[in-house]
Amino acid sequence: MKGKRAISNWIVLLVALHAIVILGGFFAPYDPAEQDRKSPYLPPMRIHFVDAEGHFHERPFVYSLQLGEGSYDKYEENTARPLALRFFVQGARYRLLGFVPARLHLFGTGSERIYLLGSDSYGRDQLSRFLYGGQVSLFAGLLGAGITLLLGLCVGAIAGYYGGWRDDLLMRLAELFLALPWLYLLFALRAFLPLSVSPLQAFLLIIAVLGAVGWARPARLVRGVVLSAKERDFVRAARGFGATSGYLLRRHILPEASSVLMTQAAILVPQFVLAEMTLSFLGLGVPEPVPSWGNLLSSLQQYSVLVSYWWMYLPALVMVPYFLGYLGLGSRLQQHEEPYKIGK
Amino acid sequence: MNTAGRDKGMQPLLEVENLVKTYSRRRLAGSGEGVRALDGVSFSIFRGTTLAIVGESGSGKSTLAFCLACLEKPTSGAIRFEDKDIVTLSEKDLRAIRRQMQLIFQDPASSFNPRWGVGEILIEPLALQGNLGRDEMRTRAHALLEQVGLSSSMEAKLASELSGGQRQRLAIARALMLEPKVLILDEALSALDCSVQAQIANLLVDLQSSCGMTYLFITHDLAMAAHLADEIAVMSKGRIVEHGAPNKILNQPQSVITRELLAAVPRLGFAGTRVAES
Repeated sequence: MKGKRAISNWIVLLVALHAIVILGGFFAPYDPAEQDRKSPYLPPMRIHFVDAEGHFHERPFVYSLQLGEGSYDKYEENTARPLALRFFVQGARYRLLGFVPARLHLFGTGSERIYLLGSDSYGRDQLSRFLYGGQVSLFAGLLGAGITLLLGLCVGAIAGYYGGWRDDLLMRLAELFLALPWLYLLFALRAFLPLSVSPLQAFLLIIAVLGAVGWARPARLVRGVVLSAKERDFVRAARGFGATSGYLLRRHILPEASSVLMTQAAILVPQFVLAEMTLSFLGLGVPEPVPSWGNLLSSLQQYSVLVSYWWMYLPALVMVPYFLGYLGLGSRLQQHEEPYKIGK
Repeated sequence: MNTAGRDKGMQPLLEVENLVKTYSRRRLAGSGEGVRALDGVSFSIFRGTTLAIVGESGSGKSTLAFCLACLEKPTSGAIRFEDKDIVTLSEKDLRAIRRQMQLIFQDPASSFNPRWGVGEILIEPLALQGNLGRDEMRTRAHALLEQVGLSSSMEAKLASELSGGQRQRLAIARALMLEPKVLILDEALSALDCSVQAQIANLLVDLQSSCGMTYLFITHDLAMAAHLADEIAVMSKGRIVEHGAPNKILNQPQSVITRELLAAVPRLGFAGTRVAES
């Protein structure tokens, strides 16, 4: 029971993470592309309740940052200029869930920009970029995993159910795909395409490649399940009632594969998010100025950023709870499937 | 039980002639010797009668059941159902024939989809025909549940919540949904305890007298076979070694296999000598 509780905590976390990212426009104080060239690489501002004189304030506030004396990249808090945090403020226009026009943000200040997760080289708010970037990365992961699983399901069902030469052909093809060094394949593919592609094209390319590359493993798993399920007595019984192949697959055989698919999904989605991050980090993914978790990290390729600005790492850390959440979800789904098996 | 139709000069409902089924083994090179599960089996069943196929495990009884239910394709030979050879039929025509000959599995639990409720399981055969409305199908399901001695309130349960005897009744009810002409019972009573066996056996007898059902009763239990059947065929190694009326088989067994099976029948207060020991 204790293990189960711990798992559901991860699921709550996962749901919260997705909700925050999906409603990113509301939680992000600014537009992700909005620049402030005067304040590059600002460190995250600290939220205070107690000011420099030791007085307690009910409303949290931050101090605006200014360059330290004699320094060109070390910022210090300017205690003379507190910026109070206001909640539910009107700010930059955005579209909630991609289509509802809105201006309401969770927080902001009246005047000066605040950077709770710091800023990047153009003075763009890292928090806003992180939230909007998550929309791209998580969507790429979910869509890529969806395509992969659909392909794997179809291939596995055909190979397992019909067998014979179809099985041989599809499984050899699956082995070929498992053996392909797909990162280099992607490099080669990218080399054929024009140098600069639109963000949407790049996004679709990533999803297509992820979907096409990953189907082999779920296909082999589904094939195994179908192979054993089609010999089950209840499938034979249904055949005895005059069931067609399509009916048997739909009603009896493929539902047997559902728990395999669920656990595969729970493994594949975070893997694909990670793959998107890798590709975007290498510059093969979604191009600037559109943020994604991968290209938020790409500035770390510069040595000076790597050693000086620790807050640029923060988007990478989110993968830890994200992965754990999905693995927890996977094992929970497995537990959920098992009570259906008739005990003997 | 009804008298065998053979005496009346009727056409048999089901006629099996020289049926052979071999399972080939897939090998790395060349084709290996297959297993000959059925090796020239012939018999016929008349409408409204019961033929028991008795044999030890591995004698090809279940293969025979699957071939007759059109779930396996025999390697050679003929199965004539109402004078139509079903071995040569296409998959599409077979689907229509399969409804007429329903197979009841040895383990009823495994013949129900574990995700489905009793109601859904019962309705499936009719839903597949697609010519009845949902209410009509449910009415029929309720009637059949009552007929096999289950209460119609059971339809909300999962099959896994039923007892062994209830599951076997459910399996019979489901097979009857399609009003088949032949029921093939593949060791259908073997997994049940004695009192439940007797209940189900009586249910089968009642169904036969009320609906004129034809049974192919496959078992290793010679006593049960003698109780239910009009004729008994003893199988061994894919062949029928002895065939005749229950009385004849029980009292004058001809083959060694039959004598061994007879010796295996437990009898109260009878310390019989085993054939193997004599």
